[in-house]
Amino acid sequence: MRRILAQCRKELLQFRRDRLTLGLAFLLPLLTLLIFGFAIRLETKVIPIVVQDFDRSPLSAAYTDRLFATDQFRPAPWRGDDPVADAIDRGLAKAAVIIPPEFSRRLKAGQPVEVQVLVDGTDTNNARVIRNSIQGTTAFFLSEKELLTNPPPVQALTRLWFNPGRKESLYIVPGVYAVVLWIFPSLLAAIAMVKEKDKGTILQVYASGIRAPELLLGKALAYLLVGVSMAVVVMGLGGLIFQLGFAGDPTPLLVGTTIYLAAAVLFGLLLGVRSANQNAAVQGVSLVGFLSALLLSGFIYPLSNIPPPLSLVSALIPARYFIVISRDAFVRGTGWAGVWLDVLMILALAALLYLVTLRSLGSLQLADGGGGGP
Amino acid sequence: MPRSSPPDPAHNNAGRSVASVVVSVEGLHKCYGSRPAVAGLDFRVSEGEIFGLIGPDGAGKTTTFHILAGVIEPSGGQVRVLGSPPREARERVGYLTQQFSQYPDLSVEENLRYVAGLRLVSPALWRERRTPLLRRLGLEPFADRLASQLSGGMKQKLALCCALIDRPRLLLLDEPTTGVDPVSRRDFWDVLATLAEEGVTIVIATPDLVEAERCHRIALVQQGRIESLGSPAALKQGLGLSRLELRGAASAAAEPLLSGGAIVDVQTFGDRLDLLVNDAATGEAQVRELFRRQGLPLQELLITAPTLENVVVISQRRRSGELPLLPFPGVQGSRRRRADPAIAARGLSRRFGAFEAVRQLTLEIRYGEIFGLLGANGAGKTTTIKMLCGLLAPSSGEIVLAGESKLLRGPDLLRRIGYMSQKFTLYDDLSIRENLEFYAGVYGIPGPLRQPRIDWVIASCGLQGQEQLLTAKLPGGWKQRVAFGAAVLHDPEVLFLDEPTSGVDPLARRQFWSLINAFARRGTAILVTTHYLEEAEQCNRLCFMVAGEKVIEGSPGAIKAAQPGQVLELVLPQDQLQSATLLLRRHWQPWRVSRFGDRLHLVLDDPEREVEGLQLLLSQAQLSLEGLRRVPHSLEDAFIGTVQRAQAREGEGR
Repeated sequence: MRRILAQCRKELLQFRRDRLTLGLAFLLPLLTLLIFGFAIRLETKVIPIVVQDFDRSPLSAAYTDRLFATDQFRPAPWRGDDPVADAIDRGLAKAAVIIPPEFSRRLKAGQPVEVQVLVDGTDTNNARVIRNSIQGTTAFFLSEKELLTNPPPVQALTRLWFNPGRKESLYIVPGVYAVVLWIFPSLLAAIAMVKEKDKGTILQVYASGIRAPELLLGKALAYLLVGVSMAVVVMGLGGLIFQLGFAGDPTPLLVGTTIYLAAAVLFGLLLGVRSANQNAAVQGVSLVGFLSALLLSGFIYPLSNIPPPLSLVSALIPARYFIVISRDAFVRGTGWAGVWLDVLMILALAALLYLVTLRSLGSLQLADGGGGGP
Repeated sequence: MPRSSPPDPAHNNAGRSVASVVVSVEGLHKCYGSRPAVAGLDFRVSEGEIFGLIGPDGAGKTTTFHILAGVIEPSGGQVRVLGSPPREARERVGYLTQQFSQYPDLSVEENLRYVAGLRLVSPALWRERRTPLLRRLGLEPFADRLASQLSGGMKQKLALCCALIDRPRLLLLDEPTTGVDPVSRRDFWDVLATLAEEGVTIVIATPDLVEAERCHRIALVQQGRIESLGSPAALKQGLGLSRLELRGAASAAAEPLLSGGAIVDVQTFGDRLDLLVNDAATGEAQVRELFRRQGLPLQELLITAPTLENVVVISQRRRSGELPLLPFPGVQGSRRRRADPAIAARGLSRRFGAFEAVRQLTLEIRYGEIFGLLGANGAGKTTTIKMLCGLLAPSSGEIVLAGESKLLRGPDLLRRIGYMSQKFTLYDDLSIRENLEFYAGVYGIPGPLRQPRIDWVIASCGLQGQEQLLTAKLPGGWKQRVAFGAAVLHDPEVLFLDEPTSGVDPLARRQFWSLINAFARRGTAILVTTHYLEEAEQCNRLCFMVAGEKVIEGSPGAIKAAQPGQVLELVLPQDQLQSATLLLRRHWQPWRVSRFGDRLHLVLDDPEREVEGLQLLLSQAQLSLEGLRRVPHSLEDAFIGTVQRAQAREGEGR
């Protein structure tokens, strides 16, 4: 235990001394939080569209106004007479709505009218959003003007729970916590481990008689403490900036965050042990960390969309479980009942990482050929 | 004079009749892949002994240390450290790695505390030991300084401090004094001697053969095997040769004539010739006869014992033979003598941020001169050399290089200078011949000269038949020789050599110097940096730098002659040396007393008057003075004396 503490104290001293690690621990996580928190919007707003009105009646004008009444669309700079397909081709508009000449007359006569809607399908997600939105607006327009001949017998009345205002930051920011608290603690831990090799101090450690678990736990403890303070700063400021408060019992988040940070630190230490130099370690952690925490964690892309072999990989990614915990704490607020399994999963993964790292450290000796020298 | 019997470490200390074996190594083997690094080592080290592992780079010393420290497993053989396998003994062993391995971003105190924590030194013991230990190594005033801001010597002291905090019974020191200035080096060895007196066993590697004389026993290691093992005195005696030191005006002219008969070996040291002869009397007669016949003046002929360097060189030569000194192709006779300086620098300074690496340096080097730039690591040697050859712009000052003062990197000038850097300048993934062909192309050597010159390099390095070998496969010393060859392929007028002989074994170092001498004789100006003081003797003139400033400049002879006082060499029994050192240091200023190999040097201003007091002092302390003679100042004496007098003056001025 005394060796663990000695190791931990030394790591914290070194951490405090190095401007790079301080930046990695506090500045970059905040920047990442701000970038992701403000810049990532899954839902596109103010989409440029062209409305070509061949009818030019008050009713068709009312329909056009209705389309632009939401902040979803804005008129694209396009002259009414030119072929609208060109506007889409040139990327000036994402969609075109063509109102036929007989629009007003046919509607009043109770006859069906076909309004042609051309949507740029390049971005499938957005194309769907545009299509739904135009359909929705059209339906709203019809009911408002009482033009519906016979209302449908079944109507779905939807209510959005947890995030009734569809505030996107409520969805994104708790996910950013998972990304930030994975990448940076692991990066710091990896650097701390591999630096010993770079500077040759590892020999002294080997010769000191310290045992592998002591070395590992000492370093892990130090960076867990760093990680916890990072979490306090990032979550505190994140809460202020994005107006995020606890939605329910915060204890699952407290416990979950601590275990999650431990897993991140152990992951970094593992890569540090495995890498030959600092460059390799930093690249390894950044690449693996970002890829897994961003793409396979459900942060942006729904986990249910990931096909079987990859979904198994995603099951091994602690970030995926932490995102659930974090979103629950800040948005859903169901507490332990909803997330106990996720906390347990992170714990299991942390234990696995510990064992693998311990194995990689081996007996704290030089490998033949590696670093042996003459 | 060598003592009649080699010292027996078992009876080194009073009160300890039978010394236990601390390290025992039997048939030790270690292979990295298929390459054997250690190929059957056998030795035992007893308690309180200083045991030296001496050998060239790649001889297997570091691997042996790794194994003794328990950080790598041997491939075969029996190793016991303090009665158990090395891994289990780690807690009782202190290890100083070759590369500085304390944390540069921690302070002295923090480093020490960290090691104390790892070694489970209790808080009470920590409080008890911390201050005395720091004080003992002179680090107390620097406890809060970051390790990265310590000088080379202080770094090593810190490393030793860390190793000592847990009172280890065995110290493993892998080249602890490489790159350390002579003053710190001497301090370091004094601490080691005291530790050994206290019963700590020390295994140490050093490339410096003067230092090696301070070991109780040494093992000469070559290619993973022990060539010979014994006390320095026994090894020197075992050579069965005597050494003659000749001083005379025409010693350079006499060198080629001195061969055959009783003469085994001749070496030029500046103004001095060293001869090894089978028999002192016949050798002396032969030399006197020769000088008389040739009409050469002979000022002094001194019969002394061979040095460790002699032992190593002779044993290596028996093994590998000597390389021929071949004439450099494509050049007849020597370059025309020129009166203008080859390199001139005035008021040269270089700052890196707030740090002043070189301060107001003024130098002038003539054609045909070998100029030595000496100093510890970080003294500013490499920065100076880089500025002089135009690789680095000075912050202030003027440089004239081969008549050129602007455009030091102009293509014309580049073709007239050669530069061999500290790090190998060869491409590891090219063969030796490909490397040389590349450099021949870069320097634009005319077609008909290319092949002969490349062949000359390969023959001078003794690498015929191996020129297709990848450079990466060559041991350090050989690489240095090829790199030297590459640097002189274009027959430069000015040659910069930045530590050309670091990591090169004594025989190769000698061959290196005969090559350097040959180029100098033909009129090339040579600037060479080194931290071996013994090597500096080979220079025509030298300049010693400390912390970016010039401390001494002049020819080796002049520098020594300018030293105040007279050096007395005291011979005492091995086991009394340490107490005698301490006693003398209480009576004279500490810088006047130094261990020199296995003898003591004492600098006295007025020996006639003081010698009686000295003899009385020693006899009162029951110390038996076995020999006392006046010796000339060594360069080490001169350097240490100068620096310490300067420090003393500074101290008074405050």
